[in-house]
Amino acid sequence: MTVPDARVREISLLVSGARKSYNGTPALRGVDLAVARGTIHALAGGNGSGKSTLIKLLAAVESADDGTVEVDGAAEQLHRLTPSGSHGLGLRFVHQNPGIFDDLTVAENFGLTLGFPRRLAGIRWSRLNKRVAENLERFEVDARPTQRAGDLRPATKTMVAIARALSDPDDADAASHRVLVLDEPTASLPSHEVDILLEALRRRADAGQTILYVSHRLGELRSLASDITVLRDGLVVAARPLAALSEHEIVELMAGEPLEEFYPVVPQRSGVEQPALSVAGLSTGPLLDVELTVRRGEILGVAGLLGSGRSTLLRSLFGDAPAEAIVEVGGEPVERWSLEEAMSRGVGFIPEDRGQDALFATMSVRENSTIANLPAFVAGGRLRRRKELSEYESQAGKLRIKSASPELPITALSGGNQQKVVLTRWLQRSPGTILLDEPTQGVDAMARAEIYSELRTIAANGTAVVIASSDFEELSNLCDRVVVLRDGRIVAELAHAEASIPALVSHCYASQEGRP
Amino acid sequence: MTLSPSTKTVAEPEATIAAPRHLGDIGERFGLVALVVVVWLLFAVLPESSAAFTSAANVQAILANTPVVSIIAIAAIFPLICGHFDFSVGATAVASSVVCAAVQSQGAPLVLAIVAAVVAGGLVGLVNAVLVARFHLNAFVVTIGMATLIPGLVQWYTGGVDITSGIDQSLRDFGSLQWLGVPRGIWLLVVVAGVCWFVLSQTPLGRRLYAVGINPSAARLVGIRVDRTVFISFLASGTLAGLAGVILTARNGGGLVGSGTDLLFPALTAVFLGATAITPGRYNVLGVIIGVVFVAVSVSGLRLSGAADWVPAVFNGAALIIAVALSTFLSRRSKTE
Repeated sequence: MTVPDARVREISLLVSGARKSYNGTPALRGVDLAVARGTIHALAGGNGSGKSTLIKLLAAVESADDGTVEVDGAAEQLHRLTPSGSHGLGLRFVHQNPGIFDDLTVAENFGLTLGFPRRLAGIRWSRLNKRVAENLERFEVDARPTQRAGDLRPATKTMVAIARALSDPDDADAASHRVLVLDEPTASLPSHEVDILLEALRRRADAGQTILYVSHRLGELRSLASDITVLRDGLVVAARPLAALSEHEIVELMAGEPLEEFYPVVPQRSGVEQPALSVAGLSTGPLLDVELTVRRGEILGVAGLLGSGRSTLLRSLFGDAPAEAIVEVGGEPVERWSLEEAMSRGVGFIPEDRGQDALFATMSVRENSTIANLPAFVAGGRLRRRKELSEYESQAGKLRIKSASPELPITALSGGNQQKVVLTRWLQRSPGTILLDEPTQGVDAMARAEIYSELRTIAANGTAVVIASSDFEELSNLCDRVVVLRDGRIVAELAHAEASIPALVSHCYASQEGRP
Repeated sequence: MTLSPSTKTVAEPEATIAAPRHLGDIGERFGLVALVVVVWLLFAVLPESSAAFTSAANVQAILANTPVVSIIAIAAIFPLICGHFDFSVGATAVASSVVCAAVQSQGAPLVLAIVAAVVAGGLVGLVNAVLVARFHLNAFVVTIGMATLIPGLVQWYTGGVDITSGIDQSLRDFGSLQWLGVPRGIWLLVVVAGVCWFVLSQTPLGRRLYAVGINPSAARLVGIRVDRTVFISFLASGTLAGLAGVILTARNGGGLVGSGTDLLFPALTAVFLGATAITPGRYNVLGVIIGVVFVAVSVSGLRLSGAADWVPAVFNGAALIIAVALSTFLSRRSKTE
């Protein structure tokens, strides 16, 4: 089943002329995609570029208007594709949420999709375990069949899902004929887990696995993929070897217009600055006697591995973690620091888990935007919708929020736009200090650039900005100053010029090289 | 109120879903109202029921029974909006009704009786509030417990005998006479519903109640005092149920011993049906009242068309399940779209 024409590289997945409209508005306007066998191919694009639509068509979650898909020479009309047809062609999908149940064992998780070997009415556990063990070994996954999935590290969980997607009970060598589609697999992984996963994926590619990799994180794409296809407004704007493009060029391709810098320029500091928020003797959870001052007008980064106390530090600064500490706002000591106290003194907080801790899913964009600032919209005892709208729209204009209507439910927006709406909650309160925990997780590159630029603007106007992030690149390029947390203590404080990615990595991992 | 013109129109799939949904939106908002009209017409045309059903007396009877169930249903939505069930509202109304009658039968003035009844309801709400908001006990279980316990206390206090003596005539009149051609209780309902509608949809408190119900963890992180909000919702619920008890006394001409389930279930059906109307996917006051009318019209029509005794019960139960299914489906959809 080989394609007759002589190609330099054998094409494993070929999509041609994919079209899809939603109610007359085109989302894909004739997209071609060619993925060479045994390579990792990046698929990139901003919100509404059609990237997710293409994946949905391939998985046959939605039906196409036109186009064909070809895997290893076996072709099918896209509009006729069914989920089982897609599976039959050899397409395998692992999504951002890998669909692994924490309370089941690894083997049980395999059994859920691949079926359980049966004997009479029972399950042949020994055979299942043996089969799963073989698969885990073949795909080099560091897990045992009888282990509880919840005990695995996040990267390994994703690898279990990948091994499960690729394993075939009948044909051990089938994986090389499969195309693995990874849709934002690292969006909810902390940074060191991302590295582990990327390393594992690289090994899969070296072993001949064909992978189509969708991600917002351009750094990741660059370190992993050999080719890239960039979509914008439903069209392919670039399809070429990745080495030929810089990150900056990719963002420009996605944006369709020349971008200034991806990260705003970090200004020269003037020297003495007034403190906005400071804490001393903070001990709670993993934190041990932390002392930290955030100054007006700076963007302060908090680096650290998972469990280093990053999130706890931000929550404590917001008065949300019970803590013994001396807190000062604007140099003035505050007794009994609490969430209410923090808010009334102009501190804002954006939590790490947007869905769990920030969004009101069934509320509209407008209601989500104004929820932390309700008294400002009351006149004559009533909430004035018009006031809410005008406030929201002035914020939305600044942050370039794309929403058809402020009355849509917030969940109708993309991750990046959702995060911008969450940001408007605090921006409209003109915060003295704003604390952001992983503010760009699951946010596409363009929205990230817009968020960065807005944060720099409010900093320039005197707000203190604190960012905890697992993305060293972000901290290194955005922040005036970065503190590194390790085992609950601040182990380093680096000015912008010193906060290179290698420096952050080595401080976080406490390398043995005896750094100062 | 215009969209900022600077917003670029990019081919975003989510943006295109919104526009053609408009007609469907209207259908969804007013579907329940249309259903009431359809059911009304059905029984008005049906030969078995048409004469009696459309009679002024029947219309008055339907209207006269609406206030009690409506206010109980409105009481129940306060905790529901915060994400907590309150099964005690029916029993609370019965207990308040008995308190209202008992105070009058002791010879106390009507005003005192009314205050006592509302305070009694408020006290039940307070106990619920403390147990749920302060001690974080499961509201489902706590309020079922209260719904069992309170009728027991009523039984003990009354010895199982209805209290019908010494009821103030003006209260009886309130329950049986009309103002401007409409049962007097309806006017009270209009006031109560108006106030509750205002609080829930037009004030920060209302917005906070919804926020707590949708995502308590996010609510806390935008500075909403979650426990206090839940506390208020149960207090409001009990107080409103107490007020419903007063109208119940007026309707019945005394305090009748009962468990309140005959009030609770129509009220809950109306609550869940109501969440499918006006602002679909959200518990709302107007929807609740339409729900109550729907249940009342249907049950009355079924009775008058000579349906067997078991039919209204089956209808009520089925309507409750369908209502829950519909409102769950709607809120799930508005979450994922």
